[in-house]
Amino acid sequence: MNPARSARSVEGTARQQRRRRGSLDALEIVVIAWRSIRSNVLRSALTTLGVVIGVATVVALTAAGSGVNASVTERITSLGSNLLTISGGGGDRSSRVRGAPRDTITLGDAEAIRALDDPRIAGIAPQVQTSLSVKYGTNTSYAQVVGTWADFEKVRNASVAQGSFFTTADDTSARRVAVLGHQVAQDLFGSSERAVGQSILINNLGFDVLGVLPDKGDSGFFNPNSQILVPLETFVRRLHRSSPTGDPTLNSVYVQGANAKDLAALQDDLTTLLANRHGIPDPASYDFEIRNQADQLATLNSVTGTLTLFLGSIAGISLLVGGIGIMNIMLVSVTERTREIGVRKALGAKPRDILAQFLLEATMLSVGGGILGIAAGVGLGRVAGHALSVAPRVMPQSILIAFGFAAAVGIFFGFYPAQRAARLDPVESLRYE
Amino acid sequence: MSADVVTLEGVRKAYRLADQAFWALKGVSFSVRRGEMLALMGPSGSGKTTLMNILGLLDSPTEGRYLLAGEDVSGLSEFDRAVVRNETIGFVFQAFHLLPRLTSLENVETPLTYGGYGRRARRARALEMLERVGLADKADSVPATLSGGQRQRVAVARALATNPALLLADEPTGNLDTRTGNEILALFHELNAEGATIVVVTHEAEIAAQTSRTIRVRDGLLEADERHAPAAGARPPDRVGEVRKHEPRA
Repeated sequence: MNPARSARSVEGTARQQRRRRGSLDALEIVVIAWRSIRSNVLRSALTTLGVVIGVATVVALTAAGSGVNASVTERITSLGSNLLTISGGGGDRSSRVRGAPRDTITLGDAEAIRALDDPRIAGIAPQVQTSLSVKYGTNTSYAQVVGTWADFEKVRNASVAQGSFFTTADDTSARRVAVLGHQVAQDLFGSSERAVGQSILINNLGFDVLGVLPDKGDSGFFNPNSQILVPLETFVRRLHRSSPTGDPTLNSVYVQGANAKDLAALQDDLTTLLANRHGIPDPASYDFEIRNQADQLATLNSVTGTLTLFLGSIAGISLLVGGIGIMNIMLVSVTERTREIGVRKALGAKPRDILAQFLLEATMLSVGGGILGIAAGVGLGRVAGHALSVAPRVMPQSILIAFGFAAAVGIFFGFYPAQRAARLDPVESLRYE
Repeated sequence: MSADVVTLEGVRKAYRLADQAFWALKGVSFSVRRGEMLALMGPSGSGKTTLMNILGLLDSPTEGRYLLAGEDVSGLSEFDRAVVRNETIGFVFQAFHLLPRLTSLENVETPLTYGGYGRRARRARALEMLERVGLADKADSVPATLSGGQRQRVAVARALATNPALLLADEPTGNLDTRTGNEILALFHELNAEGATIVVVTHEAEIAAQTSRTIRVRDGLLEADERHAPAAGARPPDRVGEVRKHEPRA
C-alpha cells in the first residue's frame, strides 16, 4: 500500500468531514454578539444614536413632506376635479409686462364652449372677479366678488352649507342674488345660519343672500372663504364691466371633464376652438392658456416629491454619518478585543465565526438603531405635522427604505472591522496586551 | 493510528524581517508518544515559542512535516487548522486567557460551541469538566471573582472540554504563587496518569524535573532530548502550614 496515497485520501475525507463538523449554529453567534453588545450598554447606545437620529429624520421628514403633499393635493381637488382652467396669457411672453393680466378670454368664448354641448364636458364655470366693499347694517367688509354660472357649484365643488346656490335662471335674468363664502358670512352676520335670506349691499347695490359656502380652508394661494359668488350676468351688468362695449372679458373659465381619461383630448379640442375664435393659428403666439388639473397636480407632486427627496437625502447623510460612527466603534472594539479574538481562535473559532460575530454585532446595533429610529421618527413626524398643521403621513415605504438602509449601513460599515478581526493572526493577538 | 500523538520531521520556520529571512526553527524533529508528559525548555529567542505555536496549530511550519494524531497538518488552511485545533488541542496559557464576560461554565463551553455541539451536550460536558478540576461550585462565577488558581483550573477544564489528543500548557504556573502552581501541576500529573498527553512549556527546571522527558531548544535547534525518571516529588507535597494569599492576577 502506498502510504503517501493513503495519507492523501485520509486527508481528503478528513477535510470534507471538517467542513460539516465545523459549522457553528447561527443562533450561537447571535448570542455571542448580543452578549458583547450588552456588556457595554452605554457605548452601544451611543453608537446606535447616530443611526437612530438618521432613521428618525428620514421617517419624520418624509412623513411631513408627504403630509404636506397630501394636504395641498386635497385642497386643490376639493375645489373641483377633472378641471381644465382656461385663462388669458400665454403666447409671446416677452412682449408683455411680466405678471400683467391679459383679459383675452371673453364671455363669448365661454358661451362658445357651452354651445359645443360636448358630452365630455360636465360643467362650465366662467369666472370674473373684483374686490368690492360689502355691507350689512353697520358691518363693512371687503370681499372678492366672483361672477360665474350656476355650474360653479358643481365644477368647483362649492355646494352650499346653508340655503341654496343660484340657478341658471338667476343668471339669465341677472338677479341680484349672492352666495357668501364662510368668512364673509362670519364677518357680516357672525354666523352662516343668520345670513341666508338677508339682504346685503355689494358696491351699494342690494343683493339677497341665497346661501353660504362651507369652510373650505385657506389653500395659501387664495382664500375661498372670503369670496362672494354672484350670477355672471348680474356681475357684468351691475357690478363691474371690464369693457364698456363688446364682449365682457373673463379672468378664467373652468371646464370640468366628465371623466379623467378624456381630459387631454378635450383640452386639445378646446385649444383648437379658442385658437380659431381668436384667429391665432400659431401655438407660439396663443393669447390664452389651458391648464390641466392633472398636470398641475403632477407639477405639485414633483415639487413636493423633490422637496421630500431632498430632505430625505439630507437625513440619509446623517444615516451615513451614523454608519461611520458604527465602523469607528467597531474598529476600536476589534482592537480592544484583540486578545479575546486570539483566545477564541485558539479555542477553535474559524475566521468566518469571528467575521460573523463582529458583522452581526454591527448589524444588530444598526438594526436596533433603525427600530428605535422608526419609533422616534413617527413621533417626530407628529410633532412636525402639528407645527405645519398637516396630518403627517408615515409612508410604509419610507420606513422600509430607512430600515433597509440602516441595516445595509451596519453590514457595510461593519464588514471592514469584522474582516480585520477575522484576519487577525492568532499568535499575534494572543500576545496583544 | 500510531502511538505517536505528535511527529515533527525537519520542521523549519522562517520569519521575514526587513526583507531577510530569519529562521526561528532550523530543522526540528521529534515525536511525542501517547500518554507522555514532557517539558519544553529553552531560553528566550530559542524558538521555543515558535515551536509551541506550531505544535498548537496557531502557526504553520515553512518546511517540514507535522503529523498530529496521525494526520499531516503541515499544509492545512486556516479553516481546517481551526477545526483541528478545536478537536485535537487543548491550550492552557500563562495568563489564563479566560473570556472575561463569560461565566466559568460558559468559558468551558466555548470550544464545544465552536465544535458545533448542541446546547445540552455542551452544558453537560462543561459541568463534567468543571467537576473534574474541582470547581463545579464556581460554574456561574465570572473570572474576575475567581482566584488565580481557580482561573487556571477553569482554563484546564476548558482545555479538556473537547477531549483533545494533546494538552499544550504554556508556562501554566507562571502567574501563580508556588503553592497554587504546584496544585495546577498536580492536576496535570493526575490528568497524565489518566492518559492525557501533555506538553508543558516552561523555563523552570524544577517543573521540567517533574516530567519524564525534557526537550531543550536553543537557536532554533533541538539541543537535548532527555528521558528521565520523574524526580522524586513528582507530586510535591503541599507545604503544610504555609499560608499564602494568592491575589488574583489578570
